[in-house]
Amino acid sequence: MHSLKLLQTFARASFQQELAYRSNFFISLFHSLLNLGTGLLALLVLFGQVQSIRGWDFPATLALLGVYLIVSALRGLVFGPSLESMAGMDGEVLTGRLDYTLLRPVNTQFLASFRVWNLYAFIDLALGVAVLILAVVKIGQAVPVGHWLSFLAALVSAVATLYALMLVFAALVFWFPGVLFTWIFNSIFQMARYPVGLYPSWLRVVLTWIIPVGIITTLPAQALTLGLPLPLQLGGLALSVALVTGASLLFRVALSRYASASS
Amino acid sequence: MNHRGGWALIKRSWLSWMQYRSFFFLLAFGWMVPPLVYLFVWHSAAGEASIGGMTAPQFTGYYLTLILVNQLTYSQTNWTLGDVIRSGELNAWLLRPLSPHYNVLSAELAGKVVYLAFILPITGLLALVLRPELNAGPREILLFLPALLLAWLLRFIWGYWLALLAFWATRADALLTLQDSLVFLLAGVVAPVPLLPAAMQTVAIYLPFRYMVGFPIEILTGQLTATHVAQGFAIQAAWLAAALLLARLVWAGGIKRYSAIGG
Repeated sequence: MHSLKLLQTFARASFQQELAYRSNFFISLFHSLLNLGTGLLALLVLFGQVQSIRGWDFPATLALLGVYLIVSALRGLVFGPSLESMAGMDGEVLTGRLDYTLLRPVNTQFLASFRVWNLYAFIDLALGVAVLILAVVKIGQAVPVGHWLSFLAALVSAVATLYALMLVFAALVFWFPGVLFTWIFNSIFQMARYPVGLYPSWLRVVLTWIIPVGIITTLPAQALTLGLPLPLQLGGLALSVALVTGASLLFRVALSRYASASS
Repeated sequence: MNHRGGWALIKRSWLSWMQYRSFFFLLAFGWMVPPLVYLFVWHSAAGEASIGGMTAPQFTGYYLTLILVNQLTYSQTNWTLGDVIRSGELNAWLLRPLSPHYNVLSAELAGKVVYLAFILPITGLLALVLRPELNAGPREILLFLPALLLAWLLRFIWGYWLALLAFWATRADALLTLQDSLVFLLAGVVAPVPLLPAAMQTVAIYLPFRYMVGFPIEILTGQLTATHVAQGFAIQAAWLAAALLLARLVWAGGIKRYSAIGG
């Protein structure tokens, strides 16, 4: 397949670029480990004081931390840096370099979403998977196959939802150049480290329906530890499909607004 | 020393920072999210009962104060200092007929004004919605203010000597990330220090990080006995003296090594 070959080329090119700065590996490793360490210690502190919070005990919250790390790692692997290089600070939209992207004989959304790879994200991915495995061990009883399947489906729709949100923010930059939507989002996304059920009801509504951050981590973690009721599972899937479709449409409208900024 | 020039620089920095206020508001929003997350987490965990002697409204009072104190003591300037040294912008600072430390101090004070313009109304609004409980008498407030001032000085100068290590290592800002993580874990953000597990609590009491954020808040919320307050002030002052000494030494050594880059 042509596009698969392209993905491979993009990944290889990013890797070769990064090879020039080898000390970055250790810095990335340091940041990943620090992020993991603070996350784990925070949970240990919390569950040193209480057994469970609103039905979430230590293993379940640990599983949620694993999901958070995995989803963040997948975003950081490809569509995060790619969309950032297009719509971020000094991105292609602001500098006018998007001209060259538009001229290429490939779908622009594909190019904008998958061109820049950050292979260090594999460190975070590995750590996230390790946390998830630890959580499964801590649960103490075998997780049924049904839960695993429902978890995987929820994880796929979580990543798709996150991708759709990032695409929307990238598209909005065509209307509001220089506004750092992803920064605002990143701050709010911090809240996804804990289950939505922990937040007061007004915030829960915001985190579920307006900025569906909660769905991204709470649903997969719940699928793994408790199992999801079918309507919730299908609802999550439907929402992610709708969001990706809507975001792609918005992105196309946004592109048609682009008036180039080059001299 | 040319103090009049220093004051002119402070005023100029403050006015120029105000121009970019929406950007700084965004940063301030990002910094207030982690304390806000733990406000909700502990609030939910406490429910109708209390944890470690703190009820849900008391947690709210603690964390709303923490949002303010954290913002007041956070030194964003130390992050840019490394860039100034690496890029050679320091050359211009050194040529001015006033101490180069004024450049950092002016950015620091300018930042405080801009961030407070955002954080004060927001915490006020949150206090109206979340109904905190904070019974601080005049004695607590009187002790809180000097503790807060010392906390800012300690956090600022401690970060300053870490940032000055950029004279030797280009990636010294990794140490600032480490400081942020340690503040998160040991200075009362993830949980009030009295609620930490015993081992972490001991570490927190002897390391400098608690005295950058948590200590003044513990005074204000009346969690400390008179002996503990006195002991805290002693440790805080000792660490501040150490930080001042380190900053002096690192500056003196670094400036000798510095070979101006760029123009």
